[in-house]
Amino acid sequence: MIETNFTLSGPFAERMRLIRKKVAETGRVFKRNRMGMVGLAILIVFAAMAAFPAQIMWVFSTVGGWDYPYGPHDEVASYGTGTDPSSEHWLGTDSRGNDVLARLIYGARISLMIGTLAAAVSMVLGSIVGLLSGFWGGWRDEVLMRVTDVFLVLPWLVLMIVFVAVLPGGPSVYKIVIVIGITGWAGTARIVRTQVLSVKKRAFIERAKSVGAGEFHIIRKHIFPNVFPLIFANAILTVALAILSESALSFLGMGAAATVDVTWGNMLEDALGAQAMYNGLYLWVIMPGLCIVFLVMGFTFIGYALDEIFNPKLRKR
Amino acid sequence: MRNFRRILLRRVISLVVTFLLVICINFVLFRMMPGDPLQFMVPSDPSIPGEYKEMLIERYNLDDSMSEQFITYIKGVVTLDFGESFIHKVPAMDYLLDYIPWTLLLVGIASVFMIVIGMLIGILAAWKRGGLFDSGSLAFSLFFYAMPTFWLAMIMVMAFAETWEIFPASRALGIGEQFEFTLASIKDLLHHLVLPVTCLVLVYIATFSLVMRGSLSDVMTEDYITTARAKGLSEKAVLKDHAVPNAMLPMLILIALTVAYIVGGAFMVEWVFEYPGVGWATIDAVNEEDWPVLQAAFFLIAVTVIIANFVSDMVMMYLDPRVELS
Repeated sequence: MIETNFTLSGPFAERMRLIRKKVAETGRVFKRNRMGMVGLAILIVFAAMAAFPAQIMWVFSTVGGWDYPYGPHDEVASYGTGTDPSSEHWLGTDSRGNDVLARLIYGARISLMIGTLAAAVSMVLGSIVGLLSGFWGGWRDEVLMRVTDVFLVLPWLVLMIVFVAVLPGGPSVYKIVIVIGITGWAGTARIVRTQVLSVKKRAFIERAKSVGAGEFHIIRKHIFPNVFPLIFANAILTVALAILSESALSFLGMGAAATVDVTWGNMLEDALGAQAMYNGLYLWVIMPGLCIVFLVMGFTFIGYALDEIFNPKLRKR
Repeated sequence: MRNFRRILLRRVISLVVTFLLVICINFVLFRMMPGDPLQFMVPSDPSIPGEYKEMLIERYNLDDSMSEQFITYIKGVVTLDFGESFIHKVPAMDYLLDYIPWTLLLVGIASVFMIVIGMLIGILAAWKRGGLFDSGSLAFSLFFYAMPTFWLAMIMVMAFAETWEIFPASRALGIGEQFEFTLASIKDLLHHLVLPVTCLVLVYIATFSLVMRGSLSDVMTEDYITTARAKGLSEKAVLKDHAVPNAMLPMLILIALTVAYIVGGAFMVEWVFEYPGVGWATIDAVNEEDWPVLQAAFFLIAVTVIIANFVSDMVMMYLDPRVELS
């Protein structure tokens, strides 16, 4: 079991030792979790796609005997537009004259990037609101929680659509990250707040207060370290949701521009626009969606595994 | 009873506050928009006389100060008047009204199916925990849970509308048809609803089956279940009369919380199937930059979801007075 009474004060070296110990401990438990390891394996595959798309395409081009490795924005007329899979283009070509396989592989990078960055933004926002709300209590807690409620009850997609519409600037990766980030923090804020309320009652918080520790010192050094595992597990699950959100927004043409940044969501937008479903271009529709499903499952598996590790109560069930 | 009244009062106050916050957000967001609102309405064509622009400024009160605009806006909210649609030249709320019944129909039918089927799967899985059905349904649920709704919709169009041509791929009725209360029309409508409804049900079923499974598994460890078994009741009677009713409460909470997500999913489904619902109208309004319609849609959906949550809270309090509503 993972130690939960965990305080990060004291000399730097001592703090680092504690963190390292905790990470190692978590890793050991994680390795025994089958679901978590499957998730990790899926994630590694996609991370490789995101990190080395050109190299992967080069390998494919050698195997397939193509003249050169295709890129994500080739737009070459000689590829043909909207063609069936062939030995030249294993998954066919899209309506702009791009190789679908190349776009699929390059798409991992932006899809993953938007997912993780957006989750990071909403984690930071949600953690700050949750920590302060839980720690302060009283009317400030009340105000923060009412705002959280609004974000929690409103349909996420509607909220995102409105934000995309009203924020300045055309569709871009950064706009999407911000929109998903500022619409998705409410759930985290709730969870963090609940955890803070229970940590706050522990004796070591009283002790810190009695020796005259300030508000922010207590939050930073005593409460945050105990809430962090929860935030982390939640962050992983949030990445999954952010990836789904990105794909939905891109699909509606409100995400990153397909000619600049290729994501699986805007590949599907192109496919819908070109009526690929009615033209027998099945792989163009199926493959990007499958990538989304597997990436989301990967993050969900890891998130559940971490949740089991950090909330041992769940493990008994 | 006094306690009950105090909780009720708190709920009503928080309902009102949430409501006011939504109204304010709806105002502020649409004032944050970049650019000159006139640009959206009038193409920058020199041949358009200046008087027309002045008329628009007059009509939409664009010269007023922020506070005056806010007062006009509040008056509009009270009378459900969000201005005239830029594109369709009718009041935005009137424009949306035509789409509401279609969304209610889609979401209503889909909700019934996903709740009933989800519950049944959850009960069976919890009953034979760790069995083949349990792990099978878990894998099935997680797979669809990870799926983008719109992608599933596209796959269904490909399979059942294009390859096998069993169901129509788009719209709620045949081309040019109007809904009438005749058997043929109802049949046509149901035929068109099969794919969108199935799509929504598949994606959201996991939410219900997983919670039902968890909740029922918890209840099964309670002492009164052991007592019921000790009395010699059959497994079926234990499940039906003792376990399931007590496991229902989390389901009710979930139904309320999920409404917001189902509405989001319905948006995507409506878009792919070109189904004439509020979701389709909203996305279309964004693409057409028809801001009054978008503002009205945001308000409409927010109010619906908030009221749905409030009602479910009340029902829950009635059903289980122990629940402390925080």
